[in-house]
Amino acid sequence: MKRIGKLQNGLTICLLILLSGCTQEEPVQKVDLTKREEVRIKEEKNVITYAYLPQYSHRLAYQRHFMLLDFLRKETGLNIKQIFPDTFDEHMKMVGQGKIDISYTNPFNYTKIARRHGAKAFARTIEIYGREKFRGQIICRADNRAIQSIEDCRGKRWIAVDSTSAGGYLYCLGLFMSHGIRKEDFSEVAFAPGPGGKQEKVVLAVYTGKYDVGSIREGTLSVVSDKIDVTKIKILTHTPWYPGWLFAARANLDDDIVESIRRAFIKLDDTRPEHHRILKQAGFTGIISSTDRDYDPVRTLVLQLGIDRD
Amino acid sequence: MLLMGVVILIVVTEIMKDALLEESRNRAVSIGISLAARAEEPILAMDLLRMKTLVDETVQMSDDILYSFILDEKGEPLVHTFKWGFPVDLKKANQVPDNVKSSIRFLDTGNRYIDDYAFPIVIEERRFGTVRLGLLRTKMDMAMSRLFRSTVLSIGFVILLATLVGTGLALPVTKRIRILHESSNQVIRGNLDVHTASPLKHNCWEITACGERSCPAYENFDIRCWHLEGTHCPDFKNGNSIEKMAFCQQCQVYRKCSGDEIQSLAERFDSMALSLKRHISELRETQNTLREQRQRLKTVLDATPDFVFLQDSQSKYLAANKAYCELVGKKEEEIIGLTDFDLFPRHWAERFREEDQKILETGNPHVREGKVKGGNGSRLYHIVKTPVYDANGRVAGLHCSGRDINEFKQVQDRATQAQKMEAIGQLTAGVAHEINTPLGIILGYAQLQLEDVDAESQIHEDLKTIEKHAKICRKIVSDLLRFSRHTESTMGPLDINEAIEDVLSVAEHTFNLERVSLARRYDPDLPPIEGDKEKIKQAVINLANNAFDAIGTDGVITVSTHYDHIRNEVVIRVTDNGAGIPPETQGRIFDPFFTTKPVGKGTGLGLSVTFGIVEEHGGKIAVESPLNREENPGKHQGRQGTAFVIRLPVSKETDEEETINGKNTGSG
Repeated sequence: MKRIGKLQNGLTICLLILLSGCTQEEPVQKVDLTKREEVRIKEEKNVITYAYLPQYSHRLAYQRHFMLLDFLRKETGLNIKQIFPDTFDEHMKMVGQGKIDISYTNPFNYTKIARRHGAKAFARTIEIYGREKFRGQIICRADNRAIQSIEDCRGKRWIAVDSTSAGGYLYCLGLFMSHGIRKEDFSEVAFAPGPGGKQEKVVLAVYTGKYDVGSIREGTLSVVSDKIDVTKIKILTHTPWYPGWLFAARANLDDDIVESIRRAFIKLDDTRPEHHRILKQAGFTGIISSTDRDYDPVRTLVLQLGIDRD
Repeated sequence: MLLMGVVILIVVTEIMKDALLEESRNRAVSIGISLAARAEEPILAMDLLRMKTLVDETVQMSDDILYSFILDEKGEPLVHTFKWGFPVDLKKANQVPDNVKSSIRFLDTGNRYIDDYAFPIVIEERRFGTVRLGLLRTKMDMAMSRLFRSTVLSIGFVILLATLVGTGLALPVTKRIRILHESSNQVIRGNLDVHTASPLKHNCWEITACGERSCPAYENFDIRCWHLEGTHCPDFKNGNSIEKMAFCQQCQVYRKCSGDEIQSLAERFDSMALSLKRHISELRETQNTLREQRQRLKTVLDATPDFVFLQDSQSKYLAANKAYCELVGKKEEEIIGLTDFDLFPRHWAERFREEDQKILETGNPHVREGKVKGGNGSRLYHIVKTPVYDANGRVAGLHCSGRDINEFKQVQDRATQAQKMEAIGQLTAGVAHEINTPLGIILGYAQLQLEDVDAESQIHEDLKTIEKHAKICRKIVSDLLRFSRHTESTMGPLDINEAIEDVLSVAEHTFNLERVSLARRYDPDLPPIEGDKEKIKQAVINLANNAFDAIGTDGVITVSTHYDHIRNEVVIRVTDNGAGIPPETQGRIFDPFFTTKPVGKGTGLGLSVTFGIVEEHGGKIAVESPLNREENPGKHQGRQGTAFVIRLPVSKETDEEETINGKNTGSG
């Protein structure tokens, strides 16, 4: 018994020694919190601001265009910086305020900023399916048996991207109207809550069954394919083709700057691997020159829909 | 227990401290990563208001979050939660690389300790800024203190409870183990009368009501019945201990009486101690018997004058008796384990080993005579070596015995000599008889011629010489005839003292002429012997003449007699202080014709005749030389002295008479 006691004590002492070796002191860094300074945001000068109409999240907007902007900076030598307005209205307002020099925007918004603030289209994109035009899609859940055709949308809950979204609202509204379905015929018409990521929010709202039908820009489903099972989403129909997204310069931006940017855009060749990566990341296959006239069909649609162009 | 408690406390505290710290850090990292993710949009939009809202909301989440702020890609603060400007030191206090999720620094502000967390805001591998959080350690330390206190209390309570419960449970067990331990100590000390197992409430004779008073288990309170052999259980007759145990385990007595493991162990211990005691007792008895037998055997072996020893197959000594030990001059314990090579010269040992190997190989005994040099000089032995077999019938060693045959050889030599002498005697008798007649004629004619011739003439002188030498020859012949002829003795009761005195009175005058005196020491109480007086006188005169011749001039001849009661013999002792007889010639002095006297002085037949007379009387004669100082005062003058001792048996009638008288005396 005594021997066991001794053994126990020995083990305990050994444990204590081991434990004392286990504890280690953390390194401490001394800081003086009394030295203070005021925060001042320094504005950069000679910056050409570039903004993506916030149909997606800022992160996605950045991810899509950061390589394109790198390319532009390299090609033009201009200090081009991407900025991120939170809403379509803010975007338009900033164009008017001269805070956005180059705007990447949808046709409907363009008609607005062109009309309101004198913005000028100078280039437009070629969509991933090889067209310089794009269209909207009306979607519903694949297992929604109540909606088999566009007519079935009557009386249903509709969620659109934004009241100013071309592919995500206006084009689809035009399509509904052409089928005799008015805005009032829906039991509910809602827009995706902002800011940012509105296209994705429409898909998610339909996917979760919160709304019966949704209207999105073609190509959005591929963007959300990593978040949801897109096979559960059915594309009910497409809208007619309309001119695609465009690059517009604010009023009074130096023509040389615009021209140098346009030239740089046109240089992008999807067949060249280094350009292909930029274009693929941006979500289109090329950029061509454009003029304001290219967007007259949109203006016509707006008139048809009776939407206030201001 | 207390020490263990301290260890447990330290371990638990450390573990919980680590867990708390880890938990705190995980929470901070979670908040920080969330903040960094939520800050991506505002930082891209440079929405300072939203960023400010984010950091403010973060600080409000918990009391221990001291600060939160966002740095731009250059490390300059964009928004923060400090009221009075941004602390400059914090900018570079915790710089986090782009490729890690977070970085933690332990900051000391002088009055507080802070865990500072930094999270990079990276989009597409481009750094947009850094989110920083500062968590006070104070709150965690307080939590740690609370935890420590509650742990101390919990462990203390558990220790106390465990001690009480453990003591309560362990006490009966330890008490019995202590008894067992004490019993084992008693057994180690040799006390096998131990009673370790506590008595049980039930006993087999009570349960079964068997009434078997002769059963060893009956009223045996010390040993349980299943540990005992030869119990009178009705359903179990015979079987070994394993079979009995198997039977007992099914028995109602076992089921009722068998205790727990410690009780069983204690009962087994008692049973083993009892069994051990019995075995030890038997062993001691056997040991004593063996010791006695061994002692007897040793006594037998040591008592024999023959040497005896036992060797193994390698010729190593296993045992040796006293005679052998004396022979080699060593003790038995010194000899055991040695070989012949350790005891004898190499050439002897090699020869012995060869003999041994031959016996071990063939199994045939070996007998030989050989001289062995021991403490008593070189002696002749009759040696017998016989093989010794083991239990398997194989030769395992050899037994050797050796008998000293020196005496036997001497007797044998003497017998041979006697036979030779007998033959010589017969031859001599014949020769003497043949010579005696012509010698008588020569002497007769010489004496006749002496009467006829002139006494002064040369012829007379010559005839005298012839007569003298003829007489010498006649004496020689006469001695020879006496020696060889078995003349009829006239035996009768004889007074030895008288016979001796007859002789000495005649010779004394002649001896005195040479200044040799005669000393007489007669035992007046000598019993008579049965003998021939003339022959005894002849024997005595021969010894007296020899003594006189040995002395020459100036000496003393002592003749003494006494009666040896033990042997019932009359002893005649004739001593002189003459030159003595050398040891090498002592063995031959009784041989006929052996003389050391000059030619013409002695015939060499005197002692032979004496020897013959003594033997004829059934006695013995022996010589002792040199004499001791008491008997020979002249020893210092170079005279060794000699004593002849004749032992003659007392006549049987006298012996019987004395015995009868003795008996009568005894009865009277």
